[in-house]
Amino acid sequence: MTPQEEVENLIARVAMGDRAAFDKLYERTSAKLFGVCLRVLNDRVEAEEVLQDVFVTVWNKADSYKVNGYSPMTWLITITRNRAVDRKRALKLPPVPIETADLLPDSAPGPEASAVAASEARQIQACLDELPRARAHLVRRAYLEGYSYADLSEATGVNLNTIRTWLRRSLLALRECLSR
Amino acid sequence: MSDIHTPEEENDRVLAAEYALGLLTDEERATFEARMATNPDLRAEVLAWDTHIADAIMDEVEDVTPSPQVARRLKTVLFKPDRTSFWQQLWPYGLGGAAAALVLWLMVSTGILLREEELLQADLVAELAPTPEGAGLVIRANVDTARGAVQVLRSAGEPPEGRVFELWLIAGDAAPVSLGLLDADGSTLIDVPQEVVALLPGALLAISDEPPGGSPTGAPTGAVRAAGPLTSS
Repeated sequence: MTPQEEVENLIARVAMGDRAAFDKLYERTSAKLFGVCLRVLNDRVEAEEVLQDVFVTVWNKADSYKVNGYSPMTWLITITRNRAVDRKRALKLPPVPIETADLLPDSAPGPEASAVAASEARQIQACLDELPRARAHLVRRAYLEGYSYADLSEATGVNLNTIRTWLRRSLLALRECLSR
Repeated sequence: MSDIHTPEEENDRVLAAEYALGLLTDEERATFEARMATNPDLRAEVLAWDTHIADAIMDEVEDVTPSPQVARRLKTVLFKPDRTSFWQQLWPYGLGGAAAALVLWLMVSTGILLREEELLQADLVAELAPTPEGAGLVIRANVDTARGAVQVLRSAGEPPEGRVFELWLIAGDAAPVSLGLLDADGSTLIDVPQEVVALLPGALLAISDEPPGGSPTGAPTGAVRAAGPLTSS
C-alpha cells in the first residue's frame, strides 16, 4: 500500500466510526498538519487549537471525503490551511515585514529556487521558480502563510491595488505554467 | 504552448485561485460559491488550485510534532462518555460485547422487540448505534453463521428522502465491504458467502445512506448513520 492509499484507507475507516483508524490517521498526519497551522499562525497555542478543530472536522466529515475528488493529503491540508487562515484573519495578526531586498526586481532564481532546482523539483516548485524572485516571495507568503492582500500591502508598504495586480498576474502566470 | 483564453476564463482562473487562497472578501466569496454550486468547471479549477497549494505545502512546510495534549483533548471532545448516547458509550469496541448481549437477552426474553418467527439461530449479534446523522435509528443485526445469513431489523428511523440504507462490513484493517442494501420495510435478510462469514466475528457493521441502487463507487459515499460491532450472542 502506498502512503496515499494508506491515508485514504484510514479516512474510509474513520468515516465508519473506527476509532483505531482515527488514532492511526492522527499519528500519520498530525505533524504535517500542525506544521501548516504553525506556519500560518506562528503561535503554538493558536496552532494547536486549530489542529484540534481540524481533527474534530475530520472525524465528523470523513464520510464526505470520497465524493469530492481530492487526494487524501490535499483534502486534509486544504481543511487545515483554510481553518488556520480563518483564525489568522479573526485574530488580525500583524504581518511580518518583507525586506526591501526581497522586493527588488530580479529575474534570476532566488537561493531557495536554485537549491530546489538542484533536486527533483515538483511542477509547482518549477513554476514558482519561473516567476521573478520578488513575485514568488509574495506568492509563497500567500500560499504558505495565508497572507491577505492587506497583509501583503502592510508587510511591503506597497499600496493594496498594486499588490493585488502583482499577485493576480503571478497567479495567472503560475496557472499557465502548471497547465503546460 | 500558448493557449488563448478569453478574459472571462482568465478572470475565473484568478478568482478560483483567490478563493482557494482565502483572498476574497466575504461578499466576493459568497458570490463565487453561489456560481460554483452550479458550475463544475469552477469546482474543478478550485480543486486544481487546492492541489497546487497542498503540493507547495508538502514541499516547503516542515513537520512539527504537536504536544501530546492535543491528542488527549481530542479524545475528550470526541469520545467523552457523557456527551454521547448509551449505545455510543458502548461503541465501537470491546465494552459493547457483554452489555449488548445482556440487553439483547433482556429484549428477547421479555419479548419487547423480537417476534418468534424473526429469530434465526443467531450466534452473532450487533446493535448499530446511531451517529449524530442517524439520530432516531434503531437497527439490530442477527447473524446465523451456519446458514450464512445476516438479518437486519430496523425498528425505528427512516433513510432520508430519495436515499437507501446500505450495510457495510469493516473487518480489521480492510476497507469497508458492502453487504447489500436494506429493504424499505424494515426487515432485510442477506445471504452471505462463507468466506465473508469467516470475517464477521469481531468485525464492525455500519449503515450509510446511498443513492437508490447503492453506492456507485463500491465504497460508502453518504453519511454513516449507525454502526456497531458483531459479538457472540
